[in-house]
Formats: sequence, structure tokens, C-alpha cells
Amino acid sequence: MSCPEFDWKAYALDELSAADRARAREHASVCPLCAEEVERLQVTRAALLSIPNEEPPRRIAFVSDKVFEPNWWQRFWASAPRLGFASAAMLSVAILVAALTRPAPAPVASPVSPDRAQVAALVEQEVQRRLPIAIAAVVAESNQSNEEKTAKLVAAAEHRLEFAHRAEMLAVEDNLTILRRRLNQAYVAYNSPVSNELAGKDNK
Amino acid sequence: MIFREVEDRDLIVKARRGDVEAYNLLISRWERRVFNYLLKLVGNREDALDLAQDAFLKAYQNLAKLDDPARFAPWLFRIAHNEAFSLLRKHRPEGEFVERGEMPGPGSRLLPVELSLAVEHALSKLSEDQREAIVLKVYQGFKFEEIAEVLNCPVSTVKSRVYTALDLLKEILAPVTKTRGVS
Repeated sequence: MSCPEFDWKAYALDELSAADRARAREHASVCPLCAEEVERLQVTRAALLSIPNEEPPRRIAFVSDKVFEPNWWQRFWASAPRLGFASAAMLSVAILVAALTRPAPAPVASPVSPDRAQVAALVEQEVQRRLPIAIAAVVAESNQSNEEKTAKLVAAAEHRLEFAHRAEMLAVEDNLTILRRRLNQAYVAYNSPVSNELAGKDNK
Repeated sequence: MIFREVEDRDLIVKARRGDVEAYNLLISRWERRVFNYLLKLVGNREDALDLAQDAFLKAYQNLAKLDDPARFAPWLFRIAHNEAFSLLRKHRPEGEFVERGEMPGPGSRLLPVELSLAVEHALSKLSEDQREAIVLKVYQGFKFEEIAEVLNCPVSTVKSRVYTALDLLKEILAPVTKTRGVS
């Protein structure tokens, strides 16, 4: 019978802390009963581990399939930025609520200061200066774009015409070839001996 | 540039975004352990492989529910445990255990394969709960806390099952281990 203050099963199964393990080992080195118990447990564990691990008969692997893929919402919810999104959403709601519930400030008459009038005049002047330049740039860009489109359309039309012309020429050439063959055949038939004989009979 | 090993955590994050290849890599790291765990529970290679496939598929479909990627192993084995016991419940009535061969008599000299058979026989003498606790502790190397997570029971229950099973195994295997001098 081993000493009850030591948990030898935990020792054999590596469940003790380093300190407890050292203390237990020290005790087992001087207590034959505990040493025997430890040995029996360790031998039993070693026997259990004599069963080898087996390889799976086939490898397990999956292929991508839309059916099993998480949808965008599940993917988003599983992703790291969800906390940021949630915080931003909460902040937006808080701002909106604060804006809606806060009483509107009373209107205060604020005469336009000379500085503001001067700034407005400068802005107007600058707008007047820049506006024609901007319009000219837009018009030029538009013209260039239109010219490019027109050039493309013309090139395409020319290409189509050339193609149609070639097709017509080929058809004419084919017709001429057929006509030439038929003339040859007619000529051969006219000059053949049979036709000459028939022509002689007719003369008699 | 700092290189570091790709951890399970990285693969889980990628798999959660729908990266199937990352999940396949994760499977390749765990399939052997899950397969052997299931094999020791159901005792049939084809069943163990089917269960492992089912377990990995369910794990993929529920990855978003895994709160802490560091707890992937106990969580995965919990799924595998549920799959295995679902099959065992279908196949046979509660409390009926599989007998795997006869125990060699005392004094006989054992070959490694005979020792394996003797151990399988000894494991078959345990209850299902005890056997699974031993498989998770001895063969899979989980800590008691992790086993409690897998089995969804208190650590004290796990400890009790493992200790009782170990006492039984020590007794059953005593003739064999004395003969062979396993160390």
C-alpha cells in the first residue's frame, strides 16, 4: 500500500506541477512501496501505448462548394473588423440621437463683417477667373473625345466597305471563271467530230 | 521580415473567411489524431474515417461559433465525441460492450502484436466512459480540464473515470506486464 498523501496516478499521467512532481520523485526514491506503485502504473501506461497509431485509410479534404461557404454576413461577423464596425455604428447612433434631442439654438442676428464681405468678393472674383478656364478645358476634352470617336467610326466604316468590295470582286471573278468554262465547253462541243458528221448529213 | 510558423489560429481565421485550402491544411494537422481517437471508440476503420469526415465538416460549418481559437482541439474532439456516440447509440443498446479477443494467460511470452491484442482486450473490459477517458488522456495527451471540455462534464468526473480505469487496466494487464517487463 503506497502512501496516501501522494497522487501517483497523477504523477504517472503527467498531471502534477513541477514542484509536486519533484517532491513525489524524492519520496519515491526512499519509499519502496510508493516506488513499486509508480513502476506498476508506468508499466501499465507503457503497455497501453504499445498500440500503434494508425494512418487513416484515405486523406480527408474538402473542395470549395457554395453550399457550405459562409455567406457575406457570416464572414463579416466572423472577421476582426466587426468590433470596429459595431463601435462606429453605436457612435453614429449616439450622434444622431444627440442631434435630434438637443434643442435648436435661438437665431442670433449677425451682421456681415467687412472682412467677410471682402472674402466673398475675392471668392467671386476667383470663381469668375477660373470658370472660363474650366469650361474651356471641359469643352476641349469633350471635343477631343468626340473626334476620337468619329475617327474610330470612320475607320470601322472604311474597313467594312473594303471588306464588302473585296467580297464583290471575288464574286465577279467567280462568275467570270464559270462563264469562261461554259464557253470552252460550247466551243469544244461545236468542233467535235460528232457534231461535224451531223452537220454533213444535214447538208446532204 | 519575420518568419513564424503558421499556427492553427491563423488557419482558423482564414477558414472562417471561407478559405477551404486553409481548412484542409488544418485537417491535415489533426486528422490522424481524430481518426485514432474515433478508431479506439468505434473499433472499425471505415466507421472511424466516416465519423472523422463528418466531424471535420461540422467543425467547418460551425467555426464561427468557436469563441477562442486556442481551444480548437477540445472543441473539435467534442464534435468527434458527439458523432461517435451518435453512431454507437444507433448500432447497439446501451451498456453493451465489444469483446476483442481473449487475454493471453500468465507466463506466456508475448510478441508486440500479442501485447497490442492484450491491451485491446483490456480496454474492451472498460465501460465506454472509462475507455474514452483513457483514450483522451493516454493516447491523445489532453489535460483533465480539456477532457472535461470534450466530454462536457466536471473535472472531478474525468479524474474519477481515468483513475478507476487505470486501476482496472493495471489489474488486467498485470500478468502481461510482469511477463514482458514493459517499460
